[in-house]
Amino acid sequence: MTKRFNLKDFLLNYLVLVAIVLLVIITIIVEPKFLSGENLTNIMRQFGPLSFVSLGMTFVIIGGFIDLSVAGIISLVAVVTVSLIDPLGQVPALIIGIALGAFLGFLNSMVLISAGALTQAEALFITYGMSAVYSAVALIYTDGATQHMSWLTGDQSVFTAIGSGTVGIVSVSFLIFLVSLGALWVFHNKTYNGRAISYTGGNKVAAELSGIPIKRSVILIYTICGLMSAIGAVVLFSRITTAAPIIGKGYETNAILSVVVGGTTLKGGKGSVLRTVLGVLLITLMSNCMNLLGVSPYMQVVLKGAILVVAIWLDNRKEQ
Amino acid sequence: MQTTFAAFGKRSLRALTRQKAVIAILAMLILMLFFKTNFYTSYNLLNVLKDAAVNEIIAFGVTLTVIAAGCDLSVGGVMCLSGIVSIQLINSGMNMYLAILLAVLSGAAVGFVNGFLVVQQKTEPFIITLGTGMLIKGINQQLTDAHPVSCTNMEFMKIANGKIGGVIPNLALYMIVIGLLVYALLRYTSYGRNLYALGGDYDVAKYSGINVVKTKWFAFILSGALAAVAGVLLSSKLNTGSSIYGDDTALMVKCGVVVGGTSFAGGVGGVLQSFIGLMVLQLLTNCMNMLGIAPYLQQVCQGVVIVTIIWLDCYGRKRKREDV
Repeated sequence: MTKRFNLKDFLLNYLVLVAIVLLVIITIIVEPKFLSGENLTNIMRQFGPLSFVSLGMTFVIIGGFIDLSVAGIISLVAVVTVSLIDPLGQVPALIIGIALGAFLGFLNSMVLISAGALTQAEALFITYGMSAVYSAVALIYTDGATQHMSWLTGDQSVFTAIGSGTVGIVSVSFLIFLVSLGALWVFHNKTYNGRAISYTGGNKVAAELSGIPIKRSVILIYTICGLMSAIGAVVLFSRITTAAPIIGKGYETNAILSVVVGGTTLKGGKGSVLRTVLGVLLITLMSNCMNLLGVSPYMQVVLKGAILVVAIWLDNRKEQ
Repeated sequence: MQTTFAAFGKRSLRALTRQKAVIAILAMLILMLFFKTNFYTSYNLLNVLKDAAVNEIIAFGVTLTVIAAGCDLSVGGVMCLSGIVSIQLINSGMNMYLAILLAVLSGAAVGFVNGFLVVQQKTEPFIITLGTGMLIKGINQQLTDAHPVSCTNMEFMKIANGKIGGVIPNLALYMIVIGLLVYALLRYTSYGRNLYALGGDYDVAKYSGINVVKTKWFAFILSGALAAVAGVLLSSKLNTGSSIYGDDTALMVKCGVVVGGTSFAGGVGGVLQSFIGLMVLQLLTNCMNMLGIAPYLQQVCQGVVIVTIIWLDCYGRKRKREDV
């Protein structure tokens, strides 16, 4: 009896894992090409940009906030970095791009703190407005034109390596991902500031009264999110070698989707970057498998929405 | 009768002066006096009303859910869905009015599901309606194969594009009638008063004997139905149903509602506030078009205005918290 109960508990907790295994088994049976080396490398590359953005978003959601501005940040960082490769050289461009992402995140947190906006709803609307500004600045900066890396004359070996290089069978972007995952996991679980973010998300009033610096948490949360979005942007445009000023559109919903599907609760306080990896894996594998199985792209959107709804619903059932 | 009118006037005046949105509108109206444009022509002003109508009607529904401390971000998808459904049904030979009725019912059905998930199952409204909105967007693309569909029956276009007496656009009239109906629902029925009560404090309302689940659930159904009405009107206005409409509608409308002063904490707000809030965004677009501001710069201005008004709102509440 106890054993059965444990199994049920395990299934509820790791539903995503079960879903991933089921998905992989079905796909292998129907389409054995899934296991070919090309497809596995392909999955690793598809894993790229979304995983970075989702890792950043995890902290925002653990902290009990939400960030819709990642779409704008990705677009702006991508066009600025590509346009700076020629005049400044690739490494300074990379550094400036990533610093810009972190700064935009910091800007979000300053707007929120100065307004005293400490609820998810307020953060939602403020970051939505900020996103409109960032994406519009990206459009103005490029005059609406897509930036092509093939038009550049300068050296772009770093970006080529990020986009299509491999070490053995592991893609470079996946290595960067593993490094950031490790760093963020250590930050979240082993440092004071990382734990403070969890407490902030759990109960803001209680956290503040017990002396947790929640303002610092808010700044950290959004700066990390901006930083990770910027890394995601670099990985994204390196892979597709163009940077359109609307390149980031849709990433905010997909990132929230993968964080929540992974099992980080929207109420804040609970969650982990490792769970997010599972969520991203499910979303990426779903696209890959559905493409292999020949599901129409429209149906894929329906299924994604359905999975999001079911995941949140189950998450909520678990709480009660 | 006299006193009620006076009381009504006083009440609305007080509601107006408390609003930053009204100040924004007045500022824009005054600013436009200094530029030589076609802004102050009856044609343009009626056009503002006509352009605002679709979003306003959605906003009236969204206001109900926001008052109930909920949120409906699926309205963009619902708007699209009802337009596509009505056009496809009419094209397949169904009676026009029956098709429109079915389209509105489809919106109500989505609202029913949202209500079930949010009220009955107590999930987070923001994210769950984002999910249902995504799902419906997929359904829209599946229904139309991502192509725009146009209606073969020309009567359908006349619903939204006609003008009463050749002057006032039909759309403006629909907006006003629906607005008044929702206003009356909130103001003069026990249902409306219950909605405010449960938005203010859910548990207190529950223990005072209000059927909170049914009341809040019905707000979601109404929100879906009104979004569907707006979708039919939009499709009729453009004679096209397409799955690309409505991507930004939900957040835009919600922003308008919040800018107007309906608090997302629930229990506060109303139709008039939402009307004014959305008018700010609509007038802003119109003014910037009239002044010939480049579209990308317009987007910057819009973002800045939204952030500023919500910032002021939050800041005001923070000050109040610290005073007490």
